[in-house]
Amino acid sequence: MISRSLDDHLPSSSTAPHPLQRNLAPHLHPFQKPREYARAMTAVKIDRMFAKPFVDALGGHQDGVYCLGKDSRRVGVVAGGGGDGEVIVHSLTLRRPLLKIPNAHKGMVGGICWTSERQDGRRSMITAGKLDGNLKLWKSSAFTPGQKSNFNGSEFASGSGIQENLDSTGAIGENGLNFDEDDNEEIDEEEGGGLNIDSKVRDELGEKLEPNMIWTNKNGFNGIDHHRTDGVFATASNTVQIWDENRSAPLSNLQFGSSLETVNKVKFNQSETSVLASVGNDRTMCLYDIRTGKAERRIVMQFVSNAISWCPTLPTMMLLTSEDHNLYTFDIRNLNSPNQIYKGHVGGVMGCDWSPTGEEFVSGSYDRTVRLWNRETGKSRDVYHTKRMQRVFDVTYTPTADFVLSASDDGNVRIWKSNASKKLGPVSTKERQAIEHRQKLIERYSTEKGVKSIKDRRHVPQSIHNATKLKRDMIESRKVKEDRRRDHSRAGREKPKAERKKAVIVEQK
Amino acid sequence: MDALLASAGPLISNNKKNYKGKTSSSSSSNYIKKQGPTSHQTITRKDGTKIDPSLDSILGNTRIPSSFHQSNLATGSGSGSGSGSKPLISDLDLSKIKDKKLRSKLTRQDLNNKQLILERNQVNDWINKSISGSKGEIEVEEELGEKTWRIKQNEIQNFIGTSNKSKKFDLKFEGMGSYKIDYTKNGRHLAIASSSGHVATFDWQAGKLHSEIQLKESVRDIKFLHSEDFYAVAQKRYVFIYDQNGVELHKLKQHIDPTHMEFLPYHYLLTTVGHAGYLKYHDTSTGVMLTQIPTHLGSPHSMAQNPHSAIIHLGHANGTMSLWSPNMTTPHVKLLAHRGPVNGIAVDPSEGSAGRYVATSGMDGMVKIWDGRMWGKEVRQWHVRNQITNLAYSGMGMLSVGGKSGVTIYKDLQEGNLNNTPTPYLTLPLPSLTCSSIKFCPFEDLLCIGHEKGISSLLIPGSGEPNFDSNEADLYETYSRKRERDVRGLLDKIKPELITLDTDFLGKINESRGGETFEERNKRSFRQLGRLERLRINGKADENEINQLESENENENENELKQNTKEEKIKRKMKGKGGSTSRYLRKKQKKNIIDNSLLTMKAKVSAQRKAEETKRKIASGEIIKETGALARFG
Repeated sequence: MISRSLDDHLPSSSTAPHPLQRNLAPHLHPFQKPREYARAMTAVKIDRMFAKPFVDALGGHQDGVYCLGKDSRRVGVVAGGGGDGEVIVHSLTLRRPLLKIPNAHKGMVGGICWTSERQDGRRSMITAGKLDGNLKLWKSSAFTPGQKSNFNGSEFASGSGIQENLDSTGAIGENGLNFDEDDNEEIDEEEGGGLNIDSKVRDELGEKLEPNMIWTNKNGFNGIDHHRTDGVFATASNTVQIWDENRSAPLSNLQFGSSLETVNKVKFNQSETSVLASVGNDRTMCLYDIRTGKAERRIVMQFVSNAISWCPTLPTMMLLTSEDHNLYTFDIRNLNSPNQIYKGHVGGVMGCDWSPTGEEFVSGSYDRTVRLWNRETGKSRDVYHTKRMQRVFDVTYTPTADFVLSASDDGNVRIWKSNASKKLGPVSTKERQAIEHRQKLIERYSTEKGVKSIKDRRHVPQSIHNATKLKRDMIESRKVKEDRRRDHSRAGREKPKAERKKAVIVEQK
Repeated sequence: MDALLASAGPLISNNKKNYKGKTSSSSSSNYIKKQGPTSHQTITRKDGTKIDPSLDSILGNTRIPSSFHQSNLATGSGSGSGSGSKPLISDLDLSKIKDKKLRSKLTRQDLNNKQLILERNQVNDWINKSISGSKGEIEVEEELGEKTWRIKQNEIQNFIGTSNKSKKFDLKFEGMGSYKIDYTKNGRHLAIASSSGHVATFDWQAGKLHSEIQLKESVRDIKFLHSEDFYAVAQKRYVFIYDQNGVELHKLKQHIDPTHMEFLPYHYLLTTVGHAGYLKYHDTSTGVMLTQIPTHLGSPHSMAQNPHSAIIHLGHANGTMSLWSPNMTTPHVKLLAHRGPVNGIAVDPSEGSAGRYVATSGMDGMVKIWDGRMWGKEVRQWHVRNQITNLAYSGMGMLSVGGKSGVTIYKDLQEGNLNNTPTPYLTLPLPSLTCSSIKFCPFEDLLCIGHEKGISSLLIPGSGEPNFDSNEADLYETYSRKRERDVRGLLDKIKPELITLDTDFLGKINESRGGETFEERNKRSFRQLGRLERLRINGKADENEINQLESENENENENELKQNTKEEKIKRKMKGKGGSTSRYLRKKQKKNIIDNSLLTMKAKVSAQRKAEETKRKIASGEIIKETGALARFG
């Protein structure tokens, strides 16, 4: 006979938790799958309900923002280059400009990069003019506000004890705001930028700021990228040029054969740091090694590529954004076909950036949307848009992978969460466990129709919705036509070509 | 550049060979070898063991808890002792899947599943092992001719402890009519309703009365809803819902003349059937009537639910039993169970059956056990002398057969010689009484019988599931935990669309494309086909694999059954009279006009037949085909 003792089943005291008895045998837990499925449905609904990706828009530009300069060593600072030659250094934590340089260049800014000094206070910014053919190196304490550094005497001296609280600040968190009054006054008097809220003083500083270094070239620069560790950077104009920070003439000109194409963008590899890649107007992607000073390989694709990015964790993986609305990842050991094609945009893709983990990346497109992708899957994970955001020209991930920045035609740099429904701020252990449990449930049932339809459904503007539909119809009818043609031709004459094989026309060595 | 290529991991590509050749010829590859092992070379140690640096790169800095060491992990032997146990091996045959990543993913999933099932069983063994090793049933010395069914209630009562003695009780209500009873899911609360309108609910263990009402009209059934707070009563005209204090909350006007009720606790569905034979599903969480399905079989004599699939079983006057869900207007299964009205149905909820075995009883005096996987023939049947009125299954799979002047309990019905009449485990005589309702108390060794003189709760050792799960049904539920359960239950409410015969269907591949005609299906080009169809055309689909992957069921019988049905589906097509040429000829010949076109057609057909004939003969070996140079001359 079953006989249960109350001692085992009632709490020992009034505050003690209720004792639980478990029996994991499946016959006592009927409907396990349907119940789990019901939970997965709730989880996916909660996930979509809290999906509010837009954080803020950083304004201040008089014209559209066409390039972003991310300082990969710092979280809270990004520079935006405008169409009128204005460069603004934004603080993401304060959500306002740190410094505005109104006439950095005549005409459009082609690219911005940061130098590679290890200490934040020493790092300077290099901007490239698209029309005026100038490269300018800027240095200001306003880039690293709240730091105890004095630039007056020893800018290039190998500093001892100059920077005390550097590198830890990252940006201007609370630490930055609470520094001593003495320093505050000092900075206010001297600089007026940085943390100073007084925008008039800040603007004055920006107008007065002179570049530390100017390089000139006959042709304008379309892109610029800095070497990861050395004082060397590469620019894209009619050729790829390698520059030293301390020399006035370029170290070398890199070209594939005798091609006369305009180069759009250059990027250094992050692991094998002397390797760089460029994309050019002749629908090409070219790999160079700066140690040999030679172009190694080149591929010609069906459409021109607009931007390029190296995967930070897989050294041979690179991402190209194409004018044909797609993105392509290549393994550079096998350049005759892409690893994966990423489809989803309905306009030319203008910019891309990998997340620091190398598992995901973001892309911005001429169709006024930003899309987030998983490296393994060809469909986008999420799509971001707002009514006011115009054509997106550049995107970056922040170094912490929490946020994504987009620069668009409307003169704003927008901050988006990289995971739309993620909670900002501290999360308790219990909450985190619940979130993880929900994520696992969604993942487990993501192939099921009910969960999938909620998970994948995104509201997009009508124009994009229509364009998507139109594009789908066009491609479909083209393929049907191809099928019919094949049906009516001799067997084996017209073989279907794999989509991935179509992308690359030729690989040159 | 080459250094970059060499330092990266292995490349999976088609032109691997070419690449290998290139690196070996390049000058820089020598330089790399000097750097020490790359990530995918193994190092041989002095003691002969091999280390994979990429696997063991963190070993120096981390330590895995000893419980996670391979030698201590739970394995198939189930012995529990760690050393010497074999690691789990996936027995899936995935050789047809080309994609390496997919293959490893599937293997990993399979191993994970196996590991989890194993661990669950081990944990459960550890938590819930019975102390004495027996099931707690009555044991007698059978060699001396002792029989368990001879043992009477007061003899049992003498043997058990004092705490259990009070569980045998009788509530006597003379002249109130016959009683119907219902337990809550945790077995703590009891609801009784007499045919003349006396309704009461109480906590039978604490002896606390919740409500007692006299309805002064005939009552046919009573059911608790999801908790003891609400109960539904099938009254003379409609179904009413009362709360714990006996206050009438709802009058469900759509349920007319109800005779039987069931409540599906995970779906929050109150199911009733009445004299008109309409099966009605009512959602009690939203108050909306879900469906009403006409059974077209008149007033049913019995009703039961399968607690593992939420399928409603109805027993009808013409001897059929039908299985219903709210998603179909026709029964899932309809079978002729008895030669006479089916007046008792019970579904076995115990561990070995989990809703598979169903017992039915009929006015023809037979009790039959059915297997839900194959309805064609009953598993066991026997004749009972007294007239049967009710059936009930206990948590450990004991069947009680209630009828006129007594109740008989059987156990282990799926074992032994299935052709014999089973020997009863216990007999409980009720002199001059007919049992109108019997229910086993969940998680207790008790059987409650409702009859004309009230109710009696009787001791059946070994009938109840001893180990409950507090998260499903808590016997000692506190107020706060009950509140929590109410909310969780509503959040996890299962949609009625998910009620199916096959409870495991979720997450499986749905092959059929709905709403497509034959022409539409045929017109689709290869590119427009579904993935499975394309694989099938290419000969790469492995259907058995897919079946195996989806069904985590360890049951092999079920798999065999599935395969058999699959094979049966293949039909041989025969050429009949419907061919266009033969139809043409037939029509022409009828008119009896011989013209040129008919002659050519006839010649064509005969030539065709001749060619087919020779082909057949060549295939069968009657004619040896000339293959030499002379073959062209016929």
